[in-house]
Amino acid sequence: MNGQYASLLIALPLISAFFVPLIKGAGKKAVKYYLVLITALQTGIAAWVFQQVYTSGKPIIVMAGAWRPPVGINLYIGHFAALFVFIVALVSFLMAVFSVRAIQVEPIDKYAMLFLLLMLGATGMIATGDIFNLFVFMEITAISAYALTAYNKTGEAAEASLKYIVLGGIGSSFFLIGIALIYGSLGTLNMAQIAQLAGGMNATVAQVGLALIVFGLAVEAELFPLNAWAPDAYQAAPHPITAMFSAFVVKAGIYAMARLLYLMQAVGSWHSVLKLLVVLATLTVIVAELAALRQKNVKRMIAYSSIAQIGLIALAFALGTQSGVDAAVFHMVNHAIVKGMLFLAVGYVAMSLGGAELENFRGLGKRMPLMAFGISVGAVATVGIPLFNIFWSKIRIILATLDVGYTWAAVLVLTASVVEAVYYFRLLHVIWFQGEGTKTDENIAIGLMVLFLATLVIVIGIYPDYAWNIAQKAGADIFNVADYIKNVPLMGVGA
Amino acid sequence: MLKRALAIITLLIIGYWLAQGLAGVPFGEDRMLVGQYYLDHVKEQTGAVNAVTAVVVNYRGFDTLGEVTVLFIASTGVGALLWRRKKERTAKTEGSIVLTTGTRLLVPFVMLFGAYIFIHGHLTPGGGFPGGATIATAFLLLYMAFIVYEIPHKAFEKVEGAVGMTYVIVGLIGLAIGGYFLYDWIWQDWQWGAENIGRLFSGGFIPVIYTIIGLKVGTELSGIIDNMVKEEVSE
Repeated sequence: MNGQYASLLIALPLISAFFVPLIKGAGKKAVKYYLVLITALQTGIAAWVFQQVYTSGKPIIVMAGAWRPPVGINLYIGHFAALFVFIVALVSFLMAVFSVRAIQVEPIDKYAMLFLLLMLGATGMIATGDIFNLFVFMEITAISAYALTAYNKTGEAAEASLKYIVLGGIGSSFFLIGIALIYGSLGTLNMAQIAQLAGGMNATVAQVGLALIVFGLAVEAELFPLNAWAPDAYQAAPHPITAMFSAFVVKAGIYAMARLLYLMQAVGSWHSVLKLLVVLATLTVIVAELAALRQKNVKRMIAYSSIAQIGLIALAFALGTQSGVDAAVFHMVNHAIVKGMLFLAVGYVAMSLGGAELENFRGLGKRMPLMAFGISVGAVATVGIPLFNIFWSKIRIILATLDVGYTWAAVLVLTASVVEAVYYFRLLHVIWFQGEGTKTDENIAIGLMVLFLATLVIVIGIYPDYAWNIAQKAGADIFNVADYIKNVPLMGVGA
Repeated sequence: MLKRALAIITLLIIGYWLAQGLAGVPFGEDRMLVGQYYLDHVKEQTGAVNAVTAVVVNYRGFDTLGEVTVLFIASTGVGALLWRRKKERTAKTEGSIVLTTGTRLLVPFVMLFGAYIFIHGHLTPGGGFPGGATIATAFLLLYMAFIVYEIPHKAFEKVEGAVGMTYVIVGLIGLAIGGYFLYDWIWQDWQWGAENIGRLFSGGFIPVIYTIIGLKVGTELSGIIDNMVKEEVSE
């Protein structure tokens, strides 16, 4: 089949979101099952694209409007994008199923539209090959995220959303100024052509432009000084949306940051921007882990832990080496699975027991063994115990960090992991060894999803080679810029 | 005081830093790699006289589809956050007779002009977004002048969704005919209006898309106004 059909990844969620107002008369149930159906279709398309890219070894270049880049906009679905578009679709599908039970607040039709557009935005951010188009998709993601954060219409949710909007607005403006600087200096917006021309760029312009872009994306990517919105938003957003934030919205932001950074490797001031990012990332890990230690609300605690993991990914991306990028991608995959599962299980518990306070989790092992099992696997995996998936990616990140010579960063990050172990084991203690209770019914569909994700965690933990292979290919896609340029069929405009 | 002083100093430092960056951008020099291509080829490749709309709708149509989506999200988001089971307008004072009569007279002209802007997108400055905003202004006028006026919600919501779908469908037809998403089949394959450049019936699918965008933007902004001026009423 023609590779251009990969553009359905963008077209399908869009047209389905526009279709929702026409079927909202059919009732709440219909809208929810419609959402499940569309995300299932999207997963199917994404699986096809994944299979295409990984069997042929060649990226799919979608050219919108048949214009060759850099005149037109192209999507670059290489190894990384194919993998992550698939993860985005899969997580969205699971969360759509979860939404059938979890979302009772009206208006459900608007929820369905925003949900689909959040998925669309993340897919576009990961797939696009044009820097301004990246901005547009980032806005789609961010604005649907603002609306979804406030969806529960509590005071807390409104406050969280307001914080997010203000920070996000400032971040996007920085990002836009960065784009303007780069465009002003190079005269092109296409990522491949930017990479081609980056070597001849004025060093100061490049440094200012890149730093602005890093700062702009840091809001979406939850890096330290700009992530104050995240814990509030995670706590206040509807449960399925929290899982989506953690599993792929952040990842899209951090990927965009990494992609742009590596495209501009040839720039003279590149290493100083990397150093800035290493500092930010290390600070993110430490601050988030220490903040998580004191939380009484489990959802908020896991939100902080999620931020800390993102800091680890950012650290690995900031190393500037092949092994660091590979490790970061591997960690992104693992973290998406684990945090998807954790937020799913915690969300379900909070939904059934009326809140995610630590007290509610007392004796959960006896009351909801399946959910307790899911949370335990997730907790143990996040800490990085051998035989679970995150162990492998964490150790690779640490090794890559030591390779480059950032011993201080490695030591600090490892220390933070110890803090992480403390609060996760406290949670496990509360779940299994405190409180009493009788078994209550658990929803079968949600139980199956948790089991499926837990199996993934353990299978990757025991046989990491296959997943590591995929991650290496995806990492090469980001690191190896020469190949990236070669794969985009640039027409010789102005070159 | 200290806070303000610190803020000013920080801003000055950031401003200086940005100025340093800007100083490196060669303003006024010929830096148009892609821009020159657009200017040289816009007529033969898209059939539009207005280069900006050709870039926005045709060459970089993907971005415009995204922007339309952003607006759709904004309107949906406002709708979701201000959703109440029962909402009504609670305006208290009727506008003066000068205002209401003036509005009655003005609204058709404003709407006509809005439609003119988006239909002539490929020929004159403007296009779907300003045209749609102008139409929404007409509805804003109605809301401001009359205390009971309400847009027909059901119809507006459906139009909003349907025209959005049409945009994507036009793109998908391009995928089916030309093999590329958002491919301008009307111009590239049919050569429709090729001898007519500079007149109304030309420009490939640009007028079609701009009509869609105009309707979409008009209904969306009106919907946002409607959501924002209404208040919850207890039953």
